[in-house]
Amino acid sequence: MESSPTSAEHRVDPLGDPFLRTCFALPARPVTFLRRPRLTRHLDQALRTPLTMVNGAAGAGKTLLVADWAAGLAQPPAWLTMEAEEERPGMFWAYFLHALRAWGSPISEQVGGPADANHVNRRVLSAIAEDLQARSPAVTVVLDEYDRVTVPEVAEQLDFVLQHAGQGLRLVLVTRTEPMLSLHRYRAAGALTEIRNAELAFTPEEAAALLEGHGLSLPVGTARALVDRTRGWAAGLRLSALAAQQSPDPETYLKEFEASRSTVADFLLAEVLKRQPEQTQDLLLRVSVLDRLCPDLVNALTGRTDAERILSELCRGNAFVEQLGHSWYRLHPLFGEILRAHLRVRRPGLEPELHRRAARWLRRAGSLPETLSHGAAAGDWEFTAGALVDDLAIGQFFTGLRSDDLARLFSRMDPGATSPATDLVRAARELSQSDLGRGTAHLRHAEARLATGRADPAAAQLCCALLEALAARLSGSPARAERAAESADEVQPEVPAHLLDRHPELPALLLTHLGSAQVWAGRFEDARVSLSRVADSPGRAATLLAREESMGHLALIDYLNGWTGRAEHQALESVNGTEQCGPFGPGGSGIGRVVLAAVAVDRNELARAEALLDETDGPPASLHDPVTAAGRAMVTARLQLARGNTRAAVEAADPAVAADVASPWADSHETLVTSAAHLAEGRYESAAEVLRQLGDGQPVCAVEAARIQLAVGDAGAAIDLLDSVPGAHPAAGPAVTVRAMLVRAQAADAAGDAAGARRLVALALHEARRERLRRPFLDAGRWLRPLLVTAPLHQLAAGWLRPDSSSYGAPGGPGGPPWPIVVEELSTREQDVLERLAQMMSTQEIAADLFVSVNTVKTHLKSLYRKLGVNRRSDAARRGRDLRLL
Amino acid sequence: MRYEIRVDGLMSDTLAKAFPELDHVVMSGQTVLFGSVVDEAHLYGLLARCQSLGLHVLEMRQVPE
Repeated sequence: MESSPTSAEHRVDPLGDPFLRTCFALPARPVTFLRRPRLTRHLDQALRTPLTMVNGAAGAGKTLLVADWAAGLAQPPAWLTMEAEEERPGMFWAYFLHALRAWGSPISEQVGGPADANHVNRRVLSAIAEDLQARSPAVTVVLDEYDRVTVPEVAEQLDFVLQHAGQGLRLVLVTRTEPMLSLHRYRAAGALTEIRNAELAFTPEEAAALLEGHGLSLPVGTARALVDRTRGWAAGLRLSALAAQQSPDPETYLKEFEASRSTVADFLLAEVLKRQPEQTQDLLLRVSVLDRLCPDLVNALTGRTDAERILSELCRGNAFVEQLGHSWYRLHPLFGEILRAHLRVRRPGLEPELHRRAARWLRRAGSLPETLSHGAAAGDWEFTAGALVDDLAIGQFFTGLRSDDLARLFSRMDPGATSPATDLVRAARELSQSDLGRGTAHLRHAEARLATGRADPAAAQLCCALLEALAARLSGSPARAERAAESADEVQPEVPAHLLDRHPELPALLLTHLGSAQVWAGRFEDARVSLSRVADSPGRAATLLAREESMGHLALIDYLNGWTGRAEHQALESVNGTEQCGPFGPGGSGIGRVVLAAVAVDRNELARAEALLDETDGPPASLHDPVTAAGRAMVTARLQLARGNTRAAVEAADPAVAADVASPWADSHETLVTSAAHLAEGRYESAAEVLRQLGDGQPVCAVEAARIQLAVGDAGAAIDLLDSVPGAHPAAGPAVTVRAMLVRAQAADAAGDAAGARRLVALALHEARRERLRRPFLDAGRWLRPLLVTAPLHQLAAGWLRPDSSSYGAPGGPGGPPWPIVVEELSTREQDVLERLAQMMSTQEIAADLFVSVNTVKTHLKSLYRKLGVNRRSDAARRGRDLRLL
Repeated sequence: MRYEIRVDGLMSDTLAKAFPELDHVVMSGQTVLFGSVVDEAHLYGLLARCQSLGLHVLEMRQVPE
């Protein structure tokens, strides 16, 4: 599902966090920046080619070159600096769209945008390309630090948009590594402007000019030697200028550097560093643990108050620090790593403490992801888990947006860390893997600690309630889920409203779990109330999964009540939402697909049902709850029954879930499949016997039971069952009523009331046609076939119950006797027998060939004749050919 | 897998701390980093680290155990 284009959505990325404003700012050029006209002129071609790539080593001066060129254009381009978070396709495109918005030329609101961090819909990409294609003049977008994007999909998607945006988009990639676009194609078409490392390298003249800018006048010979030594590398030249500036005899200093054989950055950085005042050195080492810094955060790391002054000095001198805008800075990426190495040597053991301080500052500033990553780097698990719990973000373990990140982050958690929050996080991790035993154990620990712990644990209790509701769902216990929901209602007023606003997934997930547990116990009306609250809530990225799950469960309720079409509609909505998150939806149970498979079986679209079921045969990471397990078991068994594989059906019917309370609908369907299997194999008494265990209350089951009772010869019991249905279930849908009418028709037929039977079948066909409910007619048995060839029914069945009204010859026509209209699908064994029969093999030969007894072959033949509506071998073979079974 | 990475220039001991998992030796104007590499991802990570330290990689090869 694409996010609705509301203004609120525009301020946050698909993970629900605000966009990092610093990503969209054109980087400022330091005063010492040297404009090199040969490069700027080359870059001007970027306005004429779809793709431009500025590709060079770290510190080669790529970003400043492009930023300077961009600032000089009449119409500066949109700018986007990649962050690690933007590597994922959904995030990338969300930031791409926001860059255009921030630039003042947004893509049309109709395009929407990716709602999921990991994926973007092809439709959205086409819409973006289409919008851009209409632009004149073209939109130029610079993607700086594109090397951070390592996911092949993004390159492929950029390629796609670029190809389809035609003359409307000019893309400039600034990158350290070769991007995974098909560059050769652009090159061959003359559609690529390319500036590579060799061209970025400083010439001796440029180097001399650069040093001049630092107040150093050098003879060209010295400049040439310096260029040789540094390979014209901008960062190396800049550092050598800084180091020389501060030495008493710059020229001699540079000569010495030329002669030394140290690695350039390493040597020069150490040189420049040691010439800084003590406080500056200390500051630089300490901030090396940060990706982005602002004065207040830096003060928190140094314990002093001089950060603002030092940072602006460093920035002015173009040493180490770059300004990102909005009073945020960052270390030049080249120096961060080296400074960290210096930190480890000069202040061993300080690193974790710095991460700890950064985490605490970031927690106050409200940046949860950064808080968590620094907290984890500090190894301060009680704080880190506490930050997650107090922020009410524990639901993110289950929404799929950040669940992988969180699982990875906390996988390093020290087993010795013990607090309510660490136990809650452990419980969440286990439960997200559907490990009920361990999850519950951790949850109990957390509860025990919360009961004795410090004051104001409202957030922790709310998190606890969510996990308890999930545990209740997984163990099929509506009572526990209800208690959890009640305790959530109690503590909710004590939790700050802005936190609840930020985490709509928490109440949504809780209600979904509650609804699922109620569905399990067959309390459909209660479940509908809980689930509808989630399904009807506004669609936001964080609640996407909870909404899909709720809609899936609502679809299941509709299906179980016999509303096939409505169930399909609801399930499709559920499935479409999770489509872009992969076939299951992250952490989802796949209930929507199970319902679609059930609908497909009712429509006798067996191959489709099987494909859908295969898709729900999920990876170990997806949620295994009893409702989905029972749903799967029910559909699989029905599919096998429809194919005539009775034994497989009986085996599949048992969902094999351990649950606290019994599920009336799951039990009834299991009983019914068993009974139907006995019936299909001709064991009437066993079929009737099994039916006695059938609980009441499930309308679909009651009418099917009635059919079986009728088939085993107990018409009275059948009608009694039917009479119990409509009164008790006024809400029963077509799948119930059609079956009920067919049973009554069969009873009428058996009683010799042909007109009554015809009238009832006509009603059933009317009702079933809209929903394409084929299965009830196929299950009905042979009595129905002669009726279906009679005039009004023949017409009613045309087009949907039978492929074509003319394909099998008109009744009484030259094609021989009218073929029955409906054909049941053959089982694999029956198909085997049919094929051999068509080869004129005898019963004995077939038995030998298939390694079965002659009696078994005769049984197969009997059911084969029944299904094909024939009495002789030759007819069976002919009919098989007509139906393209051979 | 054991690998050695040869980079141009003499690396300081401090900079070598950026590769805590590898040993290093300097010889004839070059530095050789060597040690076991867990997998391909680690290998590419090492290359990226060289790049972000501004090191010039001359050679990278697998060596017998």
